Amino acid sequence: MREPEYIIEIENLKKYYKTVKAVDGISFKVKRGELFAFLGVNGAGKSTTINVISGILRKDEGKVEVCGYDIDKNSAGARQKVGVVFQNSVLDKKLTVYDNLKYRANLYGIFGEQFKSRLNCISDMFDLSQILKRPLEKLSGGQKRRVDIARALIHKPELLILDEPTTGLDPKTRITVWNVIEKMRKEENLTVFLTTHYMEESSVADYVVILDSGKIVSQGTPHKLKSDYSSDFLRIYKNIEAAEKYFSSKGRNCKRVHDRLEVEFENTEQISEEIKLQPQLFTDFEVVKGDMDNVFLKVTGKQLKDV
Amino acid sequence: MQELRKFVSLVQRNIKTFFKDKMIFFVSMITPLVMLVLFSTFLRSVYVNSIKDICAAFNMVADNKLLEGFAGAWLISSILSVSSVTVAFCSNTVIVNDKTEGNLNDLLISPVRKTTVSLSYYASNFAVTFIVMFGVLVVGFIYLGIFGWHIPVGDLFMILIDMVCAILFGTLLSGIIVNCFISKQGVASAVSGLVSSMYGFICGAYMPISQFGKGLRDLLACLPGTHSVCVMRLHFMSGYINILAEKGLPAEGVKALKDGFDANLYIGGKYIPVGVMYGVLLGACAVLLAAYVLILYLKGKRMH
Repeated sequence: MREPEYIIEIENLKKYYKTVKAVDGISFKVKRGELFAFLGVNGAGKSTTINVISGILRKDEGKVEVCGYDIDKNSAGARQKVGVVFQNSVLDKKLTVYDNLKYRANLYGIFGEQFKSRLNCISDMFDLSQILKRPLEKLSGGQKRRVDIARALIHKPELLILDEPTTGLDPKTRITVWNVIEKMRKEENLTVFLTTHYMEESSVADYVVILDSGKIVSQGTPHKLKSDYSSDFLRIYKNIEAAEKYFSSKGRNCKRVHDRLEVEFENTEQISEEIKLQPQLFTDFEVVKGDMDNVFLKVTGKQLKDV
Repeated sequence: MQELRKFVSLVQRNIKTFFKDKMIFFVSMITPLVMLVLFSTFLRSVYVNSIKDICAAFNMVADNKLLEGFAGAWLISSILSVSSVTVAFCSNTVIVNDKTEGNLNDLLISPVRKTTVSLSYYASNFAVTFIVMFGVLVVGFIYLGIFGWHIPVGDLFMILIDMVCAILFGTLLSGIIVNCFISKQGVASAVSGLVSSMYGFICGAYMPISQFGKGLRDLLACLPGTHSVCVMRLHFMSGYINILAEKGLPAEGVKALKDGFDANLYIGGKYIPVGVMYGVLLGACAVLLAAYVLILYLKGKRMH
């Protein structure tokens, strides 16, 4: 049977908690095999949406299809094909890594030899062999996160949901986590549904949806979002006083950051024009393209890092 | 079949999680043992003297070791009856932790039925309570062995049945309360403490209900917990009472002992036969089970 092009299809999803509209009529689709990023501040509705997709929460309205299953008709079928890495580790702290993986695998109908074979595979992938016999509570933050992801992948899901998977991790572990996810995407055609506070993580996504107060406020590829919403920044390192005076007089948004002046432009062409007009101001400078932080700020009026 | 294997796996996971938490295991095990020490230190002599007085009223001087054993049997039956409820509350820690720490969500995202998860909590709670209580029972038997063992094999078997009935009652009661009202560890500890301190008095385990006023005595005698205590007492103490009878305690003396130490139960002055006590206890379990299933069903329908 041919697999559907979209692994998630959501139409007009609504979830209210009394008067709070946690998710208010959102619609989007996630293509099979892509890295999909879901952005929003705390309370935007990201976790509620994830909980509906993963079968923890019941929706109020709308249609949700996951891995070809309508969750109203066959939620268990969808759950068999979805792996979730929660924001905080939700494994059993007192149990060993082995026991955690065994008991969770059992819930997907993976027992005995089948489990051992899958464990070997996942253990190699995440370098778990040295820590299999250790209780989860004795592991470092990075090791725990590796186990969390291993647990989410123990049943070979088609869709991996990552709810802020690298929050609180050191940079080295973040890179390790992402390397593993990338490997899984390439080798097993895994679709990754990601929520994150790190904009550099969302900038490598294939598609981004920005959520605010339960509604989708923008969506598209990172390139399109940057083109549509973000600014370019001119950084000037010499003649700062003169440059600030000049660009302020032209009504440009200027900001001193340590040893440089940062001036905001709508696009790179405007900067080229200024270089031609005032070449004496451009003895030491660089042009920086706007990032996803900038997009998020423009779209929602909120700074994602601060929340 | 697959769902049954998942159920068994969940039960194993819950039991292992409980026993791996040494602190919780220690607390659940130590509570009945502390009660045993406190009882035997402060109350044993009171009860031995009380039995002596009853025997003396019928012109009988009983062997002190036999009386010590009788008092011990009364104490152990009390402790086991109370523990069936207090340990059951304590062993609900796994479900409360799963709720508060989000582990429950990790189970619910898997293709396992919610009822399977809920029933696994009940089954593991029953198993954990049974294991802990069995440990307490063994300690109790050692205690009785030291002070004088007079429990026939038939009663020994009945004591195990009584214990299973008591655990069934305690785990269903605690399961309903935890499922309905508790989702935080602090609340669970508070409720557990409250139950531990109250239940022993309510079911007549800390003091024989024969010593209470008539109104209160009749009220407490209507509660299923009291019936659980009485059947347990009867099987713990009947061996000792039979020896006393063989050694010359008349039938009135036997009745006085049984009445005074709650091996006989009366409501409104009417004697309640043992079969009726089991009926009340198992009937209460059936009602609690129905309530438990109904709560799970309603929670499942209303979930989130």
